[in-house]
Amino acid sequence: MTAFFAFVCVFLALTALVASEAEEVLSAVISLSVFGVLMAMVFVILQAPDVALTQAVINSGLVTSFFLVAYSQTQKPNLLEQKQDIGDGQ
Amino acid sequence: MGLLLLCLGIGWWLWKGVAAMEDPEFIIGPAAYYIINTAEETGAANIVAAILFDYRGIDTLGEASVIYTTVCGVAMLFSKSKYKRSSAGLSFIARRGVSFLVPFLLLYGSTIILMGHMTPGGGFQGGAVFATVTILLCIVFGSSFEMSRIKPKTKETIESLGGLFFVFLGGVGLLAGAGFLANTAAGFPRGQVGNFLSAGAIPLLNIAVGMKVGAGLSTIFYSMVRVLELEFGEQMSEVEGNDKN
Amino acid sequence: MIKISYATAIFVFCIGLYTILSKRNLFKTVIGLTIMESGALMLIVTAGYVHGGVPPLIPMEGQAVNPLPHAFTLTAIVIGASDVALALALVIKVHRRYKTVDLDKIRGLKE
Repeated sequence: MTAFFAFVCVFLALTALVASEAEEVLSAVISLSVFGVLMAMVFVILQAPDVALTQAVINSGLVTSFFLVAYSQTQKPNLLEQKQDIGDGQ
Repeated sequence: MGLLLLCLGIGWWLWKGVAAMEDPEFIIGPAAYYIINTAEETGAANIVAAILFDYRGIDTLGEASVIYTTVCGVAMLFSKSKYKRSSAGLSFIARRGVSFLVPFLLLYGSTIILMGHMTPGGGFQGGAVFATVTILLCIVFGSSFEMSRIKPKTKETIESLGGLFFVFLGGVGLLAGAGFLANTAAGFPRGQVGNFLSAGAIPLLNIAVGMKVGAGLSTIFYSMVRVLELEFGEQMSEVEGNDKN
Repeated sequence: MIKISYATAIFVFCIGLYTILSKRNLFKTVIGLTIMESGALMLIVTAGYVHGGVPPLIPMEGQAVNPLPHAFTLTAIVIGASDVALALALVIKVHRRYKTVDLDKIRGLKE
């Protein structure tokens, strides 16, 4: 059990580093989602099932969608081009 | 570089603080009392739910009001935006797949809320699952569909009703002379530990918190999406105007 | 095992602190806030772990872990989610005002 726990902890630190150092904001957000799932696994190993359930639902589902909405807000030109392409296709 | 050294120094300082700790073999303090007496005093099988909604119920009420404050803050920041244009939604296959999944997700969320006093779960987790379902509908079917099915006014009403229900259940304890948010001392039936109908007011408080959290988080997401679509609609009208000129 | 957990929690906390202090992108600042919060929560839950414990659900066989940190963390995670939502709303407002999320450019515009 300890070896598995150490493996999860190393992976957790790696995903946190990627979320911190990635150039693209989108990669950092997806890495943060993986970080949340791994944190839920850590909570299960630490015998806290309630906290693990909350962490899995909120930090990898809700927070990620909040980040994606706010990120797409700052990318308006791309969205506009995409919509125009669709309009031309029709 | 200096910042990195600063963070490493803070980490080393924290590590020196916790490295002296031993592996504990037993528990002292209020937690030991909770573990021994939860079954007799509240009748809940989940000790965390008993602490959240019975021993420290007023903390939970404060926490629920934090969500209400956040909804107010987000709504105040985006107060001038109006709804103009809906996103298109995804393809036919995604729509069929999600409409097959949604009933099961709703069942899962209600199970988590209603069994919160016996198994891991409770109002916070189940409310978050409900909010995720509305976000999924908003992404896959487009936000106008989601708004026509679940009106923003309905969400606000559900959230306010959840908060009022929580305070009302606390007031029952006050009227019975046992203090605010009292559980079995206020006359709620204790029941058999492990049964569905047990633990007095804890399942009702779970339902109240689930209503509040689910409606609150869903409203926050919906406000942010609405801003995005407003800006997009404005730009489209600008482009069309330029074309005409 | 408890030493590994403490070390990881402190490491994650320091990564979050470094992200907040060094990055100039506002999204990276909010990401650092989330990472830092997760590190603090992991530290709290680890402090309640008992060697060879079982989850705090009746009936228990053996010594249960400390349920009090679980209750605190449970509420703190939900508060953290609404915190992040408010911070992102402020970032959107900043972007509408200055048309950028880079902190250096915002300071340059101000002068």
